[in-house]
Amino acid sequence: MAIFNLTINGKNHEVDVDPSTPILWVLRDHLNLVGTKYGCGVAQCGACTIHLDGTAMRSCVLPVSSVKAQKITTIEGISENGEHPVQKAWIQHDVAQCGYCQAGQIMNAAALLADNANPSDQEIESTMSGNICRCGTYTRIKAAIKTASKL
Amino acid sequence: MVKNLNKTKKDKSLNIDSPLHVTGRTKYVDDIPELSGTLFAKVFYSSIAHGKITRLDISKAAAMEGVVKVVTCEDIPGENQVGGIIADEPLLADGLVDFIGQPIVMILATEEIIARKALKLIEVKFKPLKVIVDPREAHKKGSLLSDPRHFQMGDIKKAFKKAKYIFEGEADSGGQEHVYLEPQGAYAIPKNNDCIQVISSTQGPTAVQRTIARALGVSMNEIEVDVNRIGGGFGGKEDQASMWATFCALGTYLTKKPVKYILDRHEDLQMTGKRHPYRSDYKIGLDKDLKIVAFEGNYFQNGGAAADLSPAVLERTLFHATNSYYVPNVDVNAYPCRTNLHPHTAFRGFGGPQGMFVIECAIHHAARALGVPANKIQEKNLLINNNEFSYGQKVQDCEAKNTWNQAKKKFDFAKLKKEVAAYNKANKYSKKGIAFMPICFGISFTNTMMNNARALVHVYSDGSVGISTGAVEMGQGVSSKMIQVAALCFGLKTDEVRLETTNTTRVANTSPTAASATADLNGKALQDACDQILVRLRKLVKKEWGLKSKDQIHFQDGWVICNRKKMKWNELILTAFQQRVNLSAKGHYSTPKIHFDKKIGKGHPFAYHVFGTSIFTCTVDCIRGTYDFDKVQLIHDFGTSMNKLVDLGQIEGGLVQGMGWMTIENLLYDEEGRLKSNSLANYKIPDIHYVPKKLDVEYLDTKGSDLAILKSKAVGEPPLMYGIGAYFALYNAVLAYNKDANIPYESPMTTEKILMGLYSKKANS
Repeated sequence: MAIFNLTINGKNHEVDVDPSTPILWVLRDHLNLVGTKYGCGVAQCGACTIHLDGTAMRSCVLPVSSVKAQKITTIEGISENGEHPVQKAWIQHDVAQCGYCQAGQIMNAAALLADNANPSDQEIESTMSGNICRCGTYTRIKAAIKTASKL
Repeated sequence: MVKNLNKTKKDKSLNIDSPLHVTGRTKYVDDIPELSGTLFAKVFYSSIAHGKITRLDISKAAAMEGVVKVVTCEDIPGENQVGGIIADEPLLADGLVDFIGQPIVMILATEEIIARKALKLIEVKFKPLKVIVDPREAHKKGSLLSDPRHFQMGDIKKAFKKAKYIFEGEADSGGQEHVYLEPQGAYAIPKNNDCIQVISSTQGPTAVQRTIARALGVSMNEIEVDVNRIGGGFGGKEDQASMWATFCALGTYLTKKPVKYILDRHEDLQMTGKRHPYRSDYKIGLDKDLKIVAFEGNYFQNGGAAADLSPAVLERTLFHATNSYYVPNVDVNAYPCRTNLHPHTAFRGFGGPQGMFVIECAIHHAARALGVPANKIQEKNLLINNNEFSYGQKVQDCEAKNTWNQAKKKFDFAKLKKEVAAYNKANKYSKKGIAFMPICFGISFTNTMMNNARALVHVYSDGSVGISTGAVEMGQGVSSKMIQVAALCFGLKTDEVRLETTNTTRVANTSPTAASATADLNGKALQDACDQILVRLRKLVKKEWGLKSKDQIHFQDGWVICNRKKMKWNELILTAFQQRVNLSAKGHYSTPKIHFDKKIGKGHPFAYHVFGTSIFTCTVDCIRGTYDFDKVQLIHDFGTSMNKLVDLGQIEGGLVQGMGWMTIENLLYDEEGRLKSNSLANYKIPDIHYVPKKLDVEYLDTKGSDLAILKSKAVGEPPLMYGIGAYFALYNAVLAYNKDANIPYESPMTTEKILMGLYSKKANS
């Protein structure tokens, strides 16, 4: 066990965990930030996507020891009240079905738009292709990202 | 993109869950804060597909620090049984294992990581027995899970004698892993008087309750099952959620502590069943005008090691054996084959897709042999009103031809055909293929008994409304629909109605959320409950306002109105409360008119049918075998949709899931019964790249059915079967390159199979 100081959603948190613990479980089990989901544990589904200094990362394979001073943002911290353009566009297009993968989808889409305000279809596809959705909401994910880019 | 989104009065609300989903506030089982003292369960499972357990030593695991209890089958107080339809599946293996992934021991520990480590300390030895993984082999050896099923109509022998053309062959469809993104799991909590509350990720709360009660040897009223919502089910949590919930409840029963078990993805893939792989034989007879005069099918269902829902899935294969076509002479036989794989289970379509695939293969075979496009045969044989299915029901409000003709017209098939022909002529190593896929899907549980539901409505004294039903929200939007129903009945806004969790103490004896019928059944029960309250309110208004009749009293926009008089809903409710009017009601609904005699395979099992026609266009790279779907265009019969955004979402998602099943999802086992596609790294489901470049879903405005909630037809399962068109579009593109290609009818049509097909030689026949 070791003590780590983490900046998550603008707040400082101190956790005492095994250094190899993936950030996903630090968030979920130690800080009760359960909006970030476990889907596969091997970075194959994208449900656990968070931001590390603004870059989309798979938190299920990201050891707490590797984070250091980088700032973590989760779905709970992406906006105050669901006002992020991606969140708004998601509601407008009624993207979510079961909802389980959607926090990861939204985090990845938000990172994409922060990096590229006007992504092409191809850019959307290549960025979002690692986030799977078994309900098959992809058509709407694409449309919502386009809408969000204009908000 | 989607067109023709005519707004209707019923169509104001979106998915009510959206704001929670986009902010990460939706609560799934694993998101519930753990109570102190919670124990974590893990299951030690069989590493061989068939064998006797000759030695089992749990002592080292039991001695590990943090391990609270190691549970074997001997610790089960009630029946060691989780079988639903047939009691043939132990919770924990008792001397014999029948599949890889079969639970043998449960470990309860103070931390999940401890339970995980303790698994490695379990010592077990097996004496291996013969393994069967192929359903045809199982059938040959008489290894069946239940009785074979048989539907027949007309005189098949005579029909084949008279048929001008007869084609026979084999058609196999692969299995499909559910990949609900939220894995299976449950959380059991001890309550007063030794009762246990179980929060479960299940489509079938009552099945969970019943299974637990039987395993613990307690009454159902001692077990409360609660479901907030689930992160995808697709059938995989209809029956197979019960096992994990039972493990938790058993742990709680034995330790008096809360017990949680959330499967990791690997455990889930390894231990839970999938869509049934099928192997089938077909024989189709046509007359000179290409009318199908006879169809014979034998279906060998790979059921796995226990019955689970296989007998019911098997039956639906027969119900949909002739898809959207009228065939006067039918003889179809289905065999639930017992193999040494995890018990296969429900998956969106429930055996229907496996049945439809076979007749589509038969038609494709006939078309190829006769040198006509398959769509010519398909079109000639579409159902019309009063045509009889092999199970005795006559089709009513048939939209098969209507959707077909509209699809041809709206998507300008004549032009598409020309374009594709020109493209194929101009391109040597890139070929396009087209396929039509019509669907006809029966709505109701085919076990008539299950077609009933209940709902509980409370109007609180401040006018707000709380509703409970037996429906489980799993992404299909049933929550939104239930709220819409209550809001519509009371003339309120949807945000004035709150939907409670699905809970067995509020709504008992529920049928699982399945068979696409959940919104119909629960919505109608909810209407009944609302109507009971409205009758009481009308009586009160009549008295209070001195009216002669109740007929003119309306509830709308938050008011109760009669002629020129009106009163706010909340004021009326407060008055009613003060006048001691009962403001709660329990509604009940059972689908009228349906019946089915399983012994003779005849009856009227479905409330109604859902129809649609899709057209697939794809382009195959003839050097690599890779492909793109240029477009999928379809006309779907929604009835009069009560929530078009939600319903269209079901079409978009169901279609992609069906296409995945038919093309890229390659569920593989080796001869020893080992699942080879055992992670999301080697079992691929559609991603954002995969979806068709263009997707047109057009709405066929039909009058709907009175047996559908607000005439809005069921939409959960039917669109999955459009996906079958993907298989044939790819097949046809390969034929455009190599007209003699020899491609057995075996789904999925992987890129490997396409490549092999492109360069295959003519079959010897």
